[in-house]
Amino acid sequence: MIVMDRGRIGFVALVALMLAGCVQETKITRVDSGVVTDLSGRWNDTDSRIVAESMVKEALEYPWLNNFASSKHRQPVVVVGTIQNSSHEHINVNTFVTDLERELTNSQKVTFVAGKGDRDELRTERKEQAMYAREDTQKAPGKEIGADYMMKGSIATILDEADGTKAVFYQVDLQMVDLESNAKVWFGQKKIKKVVEKKRSIF
Amino acid sequence: MSCLASRPTAPVLARWGFFISIQSLAALVALVLLAGCGPSVNRYLLIETSLRAHDPKGADAIVAAAEKDYGSKSRVLYGMDRGMTLQLAGDYQQSNAVLEQAEEELDRLYTRRIRTETLAFLTNDAALPYEGDSYEQVLINVLKALNYATMGQWQDALVEARRIDHRLNVLSDRTKEKNAYRDDGFARYLSGILYESTGDVSNAFIAYRNAYETFEATRAWSHTAVPSQLRADLLRTAEALHFTHELAEYQQLFPETRWETSQALQQLAQVVVISYNGRAPHKEDQFLDLPISLDALQLVLLNRGLLQSNRHSNRGVDTVLYGLNGRVVRVALPRLVPQKTQVPVDTVNLISDNGVRVMVNTELAHNVTAQADNALSERMAGITVKALARAATKFALAEGTTRGAQQAAGKDAGPWVGLLVGLLTKGLAVASEEADKRSWQTLPDEFHLARIWVPAGRYQVQSSASGPLDPLKLEPMRTLSLAPGETAVLIQRVMP
Repeated sequence: MIVMDRGRIGFVALVALMLAGCVQETKITRVDSGVVTDLSGRWNDTDSRIVAESMVKEALEYPWLNNFASSKHRQPVVVVGTIQNSSHEHINVNTFVTDLERELTNSQKVTFVAGKGDRDELRTERKEQAMYAREDTQKAPGKEIGADYMMKGSIATILDEADGTKAVFYQVDLQMVDLESNAKVWFGQKKIKKVVEKKRSIF
Repeated sequence: MSCLASRPTAPVLARWGFFISIQSLAALVALVLLAGCGPSVNRYLLIETSLRAHDPKGADAIVAAAEKDYGSKSRVLYGMDRGMTLQLAGDYQQSNAVLEQAEEELDRLYTRRIRTETLAFLTNDAALPYEGDSYEQVLINVLKALNYATMGQWQDALVEARRIDHRLNVLSDRTKEKNAYRDDGFARYLSGILYESTGDVSNAFIAYRNAYETFEATRAWSHTAVPSQLRADLLRTAEALHFTHELAEYQQLFPETRWETSQALQQLAQVVVISYNGRAPHKEDQFLDLPISLDALQLVLLNRGLLQSNRHSNRGVDTVLYGLNGRVVRVALPRLVPQKTQVPVDTVNLISDNGVRVMVNTELAHNVTAQADNALSERMAGITVKALARAATKFALAEGTTRGAQQAAGKDAGPWVGLLVGLLTKGLAVASEEADKRSWQTLPDEFHLARIWVPAGRYQVQSSASGPLDPLKLEPMRTLSLAPGETAVLIQRVMP
């Protein structure tokens, strides 16, 4: 009996050890979205958030908004144009552009209209409404709001690397261009620099 | 051979308390040792058969099904092979996802694990994570760039062009040897095409110039001449940028090259044909059996004389023979086996809706076999030193274990236990000796390239390789719709 019990204890201990090993395989921890999580050194959510915060601050602080509001007595209408990715990474620029749109819209100082990609979908919907929707609920064409400004920009990187140490420099530039005169009324810029060091050997 | 003659048949009392006959133990040992030596089903042959039958989806399914067989040490290789078959199957997005994972894994492999390195030192280099040769690493980005370009995602294709540039810059800084692979003419050339196709003529010119210089510098070992199209591209971009000095220089260098100005091509559409011709080389084991006694020398000579080969299929026999003899040290080195393509030039016909036929011949832009040969030659000295050190360590460990077991077994059982342990440990040392034969085998033997500018419109694409006739080579027609200024990338696989 003693032998059996020891055997059982040993078996249970072995199973417990194996399970403990399995538990270690994947570990998930919920963290606040503001927590900095730099894992690989590549562009990540923290970079996107930092850029969005910086751009919102700059866009609201500079006088272009007040100048427009005082001359036209309304909010400027902005459309998002191309944000050129000239970097070494496949960066989804929509994350910080959407943050920027949301913050500026919620500040009640800017009106954003749908960009090129979204417009096609909306126009198709209107065309279909004209064919299939009840007449009193149909939305007529030709009532879109024309934008006053186009927000364009670029994201570029400069890389330097030697012996496992990599310096990555990101520069995000945004500009607001007057659609009538092509005048650039606002420039926003954010620079981020990271140094990624990799060990050559570990145990 | 004397060891074989004196093999005992009596049962032996094993130290852990049960009886086992020598014959059954020997059979068991042989079975265990042979198990690792049997020829596994060569997935690359199956892939090749599918590709010959114009069934790239079938080829991809073979790679996908073999994911577990690649193992944790060959994640990068799986990504490379799968990325290629997915591309050929037309699933460019998934191909990029898999290649991106391979690239990330490659990044992680910069940090070497001492544990893994030690294990590999005691067994063989195949126990190391596969990183691929530098030219293969660059080709990951090349394939991704082609995927993006084929999907019309030019900005993303340019990201890959920048990564190629960065990877090659780091490589060039790290590699001091002049004749080593430190730049890549084809990757540079493709980057230039991508830049030019997106209107960035300045970067295109720099890429073309780097490509030209690399083709020239590596011509001796890469067996790839400067593509004639690249000469025309250099002249065109130099003229577009008003680089009069460079234009005059290139005109002097290539007096016979016919070229059109950028302005003349502005309203035309461009078709870039990338042709994957033949099969990449594979590697096989080259065994060096070093006898350290006279009867071991006789055994090696007799074994080689009888079997006339150092191929994989005889490894089981070698293992048992050398394990019993105990005086043969085996060293395994990789050997490259080229599989040269029979298609030196392939032709692509573009047939417009009004029946006009435009013919374009591709030309060699990247010789993968030459790259693989050069890469292996570069590493051979290191591989040999490591293999010799490993073989000596294994032999010393096996000898120590055998003697220790003999002493522990006592005077009576000592000789039999010594023989058994010797067979096991030395047999294991021989059986585990294997060269790292991994390489990106879904690559072609050669990359061919062609560029042509045609009036905008709809075209039927017909490809016909101008090698020996093979009814399986005829591919189904594809259709292209081209707008002025637009660039279309066509990828085609030409076998063998």
